[in-house]
Amino acid sequence: MVAAISGAVVSSCTSAQTIRVAEHRPARIDALNKSIPSVEKQLGISIEVVEYPAPERDYMSKLLTELGAGNAPDLFTANFDSDVADLVSAGYLAPITAEVKAWDGYAHLFDVAKKLSTRANGEIYALDSMLGVEQIYFRRDLLDKAGISTAQPTSWKDLLDRAREIKKKTGKYGLLLPAGISWGGGAFNEGFALFVPGSKTPQIANDDGTLNLNGEGVRDILGLYRSLIDEDLMPIEPLLGPEPWVIPKYTMFPAGDLIATTCGTWCYIYDWGKDSKNPVPDVIKNVGTWAVPGMAGGSSVTVSGRNIWAVNAKSAHLVLAKKVLLALSSVNATVAYAQLLGNIPARKDAADNRDFQALTELVPVLKNVENGTFLKSAPGFSVVSEGVARATEALLRKQTDAVGAQAILVKYVKDLLGDKVVK
Amino acid sequence: MTGVRKFSRAEATAYGFLTVTLVFCLLPFVWVVLASVDPNASLFLSLPKGITADHFVKIFTAENGGRWFFNSLVTVGATTALVIIVGGMGGYALSRTNAWWKRPFLYAIILVRVLPPTALIVPLYKVMLISNGVMGALVRSIVPPDSIRSAMQIFGFVDGYLGLILVLSAMQLPLALWIIKTFFDLTPKDYEEAALMDGANVFQRIRRILVPLALPGLGAAGLLTFIGAWGDFLMPLTFISSSNLQLLPIGLFRAFQRANTIDYGYLSALAVLYMLPAVVAFGLARRFLVQTFTGGIKG
Amino acid sequence: MAMTYETRVAWQNRMLLVPALVLLACFILIPAGAAIYISFTNEALSGFAAAHPQLVGLKNYVRLFSDDGFWNSLVVTAFFVFGSSIVGQFVLGLASAMALSRPIAFRPVFNAAILLPNAVPEVVAGFIWISMLAGGKYSTVSRIVGLVGIPPQNWLGSLPLLMIIVVNTWRGIAFAMILMTSGLSAVPTDVYEAARMDGATPRQIFWRITLPLLRPTIFLYMLVSTAGTIAIFGLIYTLTRGGPGGATEIIGIYIYNQSFTAYQLGYGSAVAVIMLGVSVAIGTVYVRVLKVQV
Repeated sequence: MVAAISGAVVSSCTSAQTIRVAEHRPARIDALNKSIPSVEKQLGISIEVVEYPAPERDYMSKLLTELGAGNAPDLFTANFDSDVADLVSAGYLAPITAEVKAWDGYAHLFDVAKKLSTRANGEIYALDSMLGVEQIYFRRDLLDKAGISTAQPTSWKDLLDRAREIKKKTGKYGLLLPAGISWGGGAFNEGFALFVPGSKTPQIANDDGTLNLNGEGVRDILGLYRSLIDEDLMPIEPLLGPEPWVIPKYTMFPAGDLIATTCGTWCYIYDWGKDSKNPVPDVIKNVGTWAVPGMAGGSSVTVSGRNIWAVNAKSAHLVLAKKVLLALSSVNATVAYAQLLGNIPARKDAADNRDFQALTELVPVLKNVENGTFLKSAPGFSVVSEGVARATEALLRKQTDAVGAQAILVKYVKDLLGDKVVK
Repeated sequence: MTGVRKFSRAEATAYGFLTVTLVFCLLPFVWVVLASVDPNASLFLSLPKGITADHFVKIFTAENGGRWFFNSLVTVGATTALVIIVGGMGGYALSRTNAWWKRPFLYAIILVRVLPPTALIVPLYKVMLISNGVMGALVRSIVPPDSIRSAMQIFGFVDGYLGLILVLSAMQLPLALWIIKTFFDLTPKDYEEAALMDGANVFQRIRRILVPLALPGLGAAGLLTFIGAWGDFLMPLTFISSSNLQLLPIGLFRAFQRANTIDYGYLSALAVLYMLPAVVAFGLARRFLVQTFTGGIKG
Repeated sequence: MAMTYETRVAWQNRMLLVPALVLLACFILIPAGAAIYISFTNEALSGFAAAHPQLVGLKNYVRLFSDDGFWNSLVVTAFFVFGSSIVGQFVLGLASAMALSRPIAFRPVFNAAILLPNAVPEVVAGFIWISMLAGGKYSTVSRIVGLVGIPPQNWLGSLPLLMIIVVNTWRGIAFAMILMTSGLSAVPTDVYEAARMDGATPRQIFWRITLPLLRPTIFLYMLVSTAGTIAIFGLIYTLTRGGPGGATEIIGIYIYNQSFTAYQLGYGSAVAVIMLGVSVAIGTVYVRVLKVQV
């Protein structure tokens, strides 16, 4: 009784409730801080931004240990769509299906964002509030100078030949695909996965929970990696060390030592834009994009989730946290991230926002987002991601060929998820 | 008999070797000391063109350096105090007893001492998780909701002062027990017996006789515990997440990871400040290291 | 009267030890036992197994034996321990102890310099060596070896294992020196006198007299140092994080990576159990062979 009274007294005297939001990397934290004041005012609460270690892998490791301990922040982002399914099956995320569907922003979400956010059973646990559109980015100016064609490659062979031509005529690296264990989720999400739609195995996840990893498609993609590595068409040494993307993307590409790489719209702003460490002058003109060619023709542009907000299932302020989640998926909040990081808001009405229209590099991409393909993800994808990292690591260290690399991937997934899961 | 020579060949070799070794040992420190006062510090060794105290000031005004220092001092200080008390009691008992369990206990301490913390970290994490859950339930039932978080930051096992202090203490305890036991072994029992004859009870014995007598041993154990816990990296890395609970080694490590925005002058100043207490403590405790380990091979 | 007193004292001794026992049991012994249990499960940080861990028997151990990463980390650890602890620190420590046992001017200065690397925290040691080694031609080491014509390189990238051996040697000379000093001081000077009377050369004195008399000290040093070196984590993690490509992934870092970066707590525990077994073996040898006086 005394406790109840004192509890009531205390709560009526307290200031606004506090929601804790996790974020990492200075640019992201700045973007988040831009939106915080308006969200605080709108909901009458206070928001505390908790800074996490910067590299994606360390961020996720730290977050997971806290989720396991039950003292994680109320709100956080997942790095990739492939992380979400496993977070859900571990019971870490609160379902937000009802709140999202009742939200006025829902109608404005791109279909692809809706599909990426919804799990196989129709429930939504994390909202893809922004999208990363990934293609191959190349130095148009340097290709023109060397007299190499800048036309869209029509097949994997065409792409490889182009890379070989680059090497022969300029001596520089032709094409970088993220690979190796150090790159963390990047080997899968920003490299391997981009070639899946155009391969003989267009989707990895099946609705029955099995994963297509034994087929020729996977082997062919790893074969592509092997050719790039063995023929010295991509830098290898930086990928074996910590923070492997720093030298190739922030140093080699602007300097012209690397001519093409997979990347997303963030590269225009975060990696090579005017505020970056080594900007590429006149970046929109000098850096062109190719869609990722299919193995035997066609092309695809892969769309994947970014700023995938989720609510901690054990949060003490579930209702409030969900409201903050929706507020952070507003046009203004997502445009703030777009300005500093270069991803696309997952909403059609962002096109009407003046600040967004000022980001001329991104406007055409937003218009074409619905034409992108996406990779269905499923429980076990974080294991697949680590498996691909290990398989490509073996290729980087020239320890095996494509068949051997596939065996590494399959063995790893089978060891951890069981034999029946792998098809 | 040969006449007196200035330098025998052996002496010259000794000097030469020692000088090379000295350079080898001191060279890495040159950079960090210079960079900490260099307004244009970079990762590479260079002579500063000016001297500034700005970096040291910045530690306590901007950024979190002050906070990290405070957290390290609190946790490591509490650890040292706890180890001195618990180890003092235990070391005394181990020295004075002749029970059947004395020898096995001592062997067990040696075995525990060789267990690598890196091997224990995963199960320890699970143990702390469970304890944290229990503590959380306890705190939630006593403390009003708004103070739960602050209470857990002090009493929590994962991401809380209490858990980290207990873990660090457990890690440092074996060595402390051994040092204190060895020390008491060398201390004659006469004073205690005299006090007993005078009718002093155990607490009076402890306070009036034993503690002053044992001060050097306790001091050595305390200093070594301080050094060990001050430099510990793995435990804070695994168990502390909140940035306002962060300790110096992790703060330093993470600051170093921000690839684009590293301020080397600030980091060097922080490193120097972090180094100093450990170096001072080491100097004070040095005399006792030899004593402990020669104590172990009397056989 | 006498019986009650002795029993009371015995009881008091037990009570005095209880807090220490509780701390050690809760935070070291119980986790050590739990490691064995967890190694038989599929505990993980994410995914279905995080919410519903199950016993999987020896699966983790089977996976361990066929995992290249595990064997690689064993090999790396073996080289690391041998190079830095058994060879590097020992040789330099013994030489320092012998050099300093002579009447040398500036002895405190040399002493302090050699002890300093050991006194600083791991993270700082790693940090200052990054300045020495990283950065290609700007690193201090590159500049020094450039004077004798060796080309500059990214030392941590091209010779990672050698570099961590050098760094750990640098760090541990002090401990070896301290032990060797105490061992040397236990050798009576008459022995040297007698040998010199018999016309022994310094080299003969060293190999036939000093070393054999130092044997117990050397053995003690080897055991303690090996156990300590196996447990190293922070120093190497700061320098290389275990890379590049696992070249410096000593067993402590391997366990950490498997557990917290690949999220496999069960598997990490299996590796930990093996590491614990090795450590206990070393400790047992120490206790037995040296007949530790209690």
